[in-house]
Amino acid sequence: MKLCKDTKNDLLRLAEDKKIYLEGSILKVIDIDGEDETFIEYLNTSTQKDKERRRRGLDITKQIQKQNLELQASSNEKEKLMAELRLSLQETENDRLKIETQNKELTTWKEENERISEELKSALVEAEVARKSAVRAKEIAENDLDILQKKTQFELMGNIVRISVWIIIGVGVSVTGLYITAMTLGKDTAVIGPVWSNIISILLTNAFSIVGTIMGIKYASKS
Amino acid sequence: MIDSILLVDDESLFQVVFDYSCSLLDISLTLECISSADEAAEKFAAWHKNPNGRPVCVFVDLNIIGSTFDGIELVRKINEEYGNHVVIGIVSSSNEPTEQSRAMEAGAQFWIIKSDDIEPRLLEFKNDYQSYVDGSATFKIYK
Repeated sequence: MKLCKDTKNDLLRLAEDKKIYLEGSILKVIDIDGEDETFIEYLNTSTQKDKERRRRGLDITKQIQKQNLELQASSNEKEKLMAELRLSLQETENDRLKIETQNKELTTWKEENERISEELKSALVEAEVARKSAVRAKEIAENDLDILQKKTQFELMGNIVRISVWIIIGVGVSVTGLYITAMTLGKDTAVIGPVWSNIISILLTNAFSIVGTIMGIKYASKS
Repeated sequence: MIDSILLVDDESLFQVVFDYSCSLLDISLTLECISSADEAAEKFAAWHKNPNGRPVCVFVDLNIIGSTFDGIELVRKINEEYGNHVVIGIVSSSNEPTEQSRAMEAGAQFWIIKSDDIEPRLLEFKNDYQSYVDGSATFKIYK
């Protein structure tokens, strides 16, 4: 592409006054054949400035790209850490649930133990009551047996006393009858008189002996 | 110098770096950047009917986020469906041989590895450009 003289002058003036130069691909398509040195120098300066600007831009972009990559790596690392953290939290939650379950089981087990313990205590109390009842029943039975034995003994003694009394009465009545008969009929009472007296005294002695024996037995039974 | 280049890449910062690098290395007169493979395909479909404004060289990113197909598929479409009138290749941070084979089969002529310092590779590509135009160059990877 060829530029006309006026355009070239305008461009040179713009560069001199305001430091504004051509830039970009337009510089690559301007034909410099036959151009004066001033304009060639202007084009070289423009190209140099354009390259410097692009080099700065490229360096900055590369720096940004590098920072982006670092940020991306950092972000990836953070994501990885977050994933690990989530996993760890999940594991902790699982452990917590496991411990909670174990606690529940332990609580249930404890409650069961307490219930069994209460039942055992209750059973112990019942056993104690039963033991006491058994002791009382035993005592009652022993007492009943004792009473029965005493009753039997008293009945036996009563029978003995009754028979003894009847024997004593019978012998006394018989001897007394014989003595009265002998006296009534006027018979000799020299033998029967002392016999009656002896008999009566023996009977009385025996009667008192029996009474004493019975009283002794009663006293012994009480103690 | 290449008359016009089209860069298809979703990464805006790389677009700026590519633009500055091409300008500093005097690689091209004009550079157009597109962020979507679908948009690029639409443009090439239009240029297939009317070639006015069609670029002469195309750089395509391998994975273009937000597009319905990847860069290799775009290369295939341009080569097989839209006339194949351009020098075309992949620009990617990947150096995966499988992908490079796929790209070559799709008709890509070169593979440029993206990195912080892409200028030496672009300069090398600039020197090889004519061989891509006349078809004498084989598939080349710029590492």
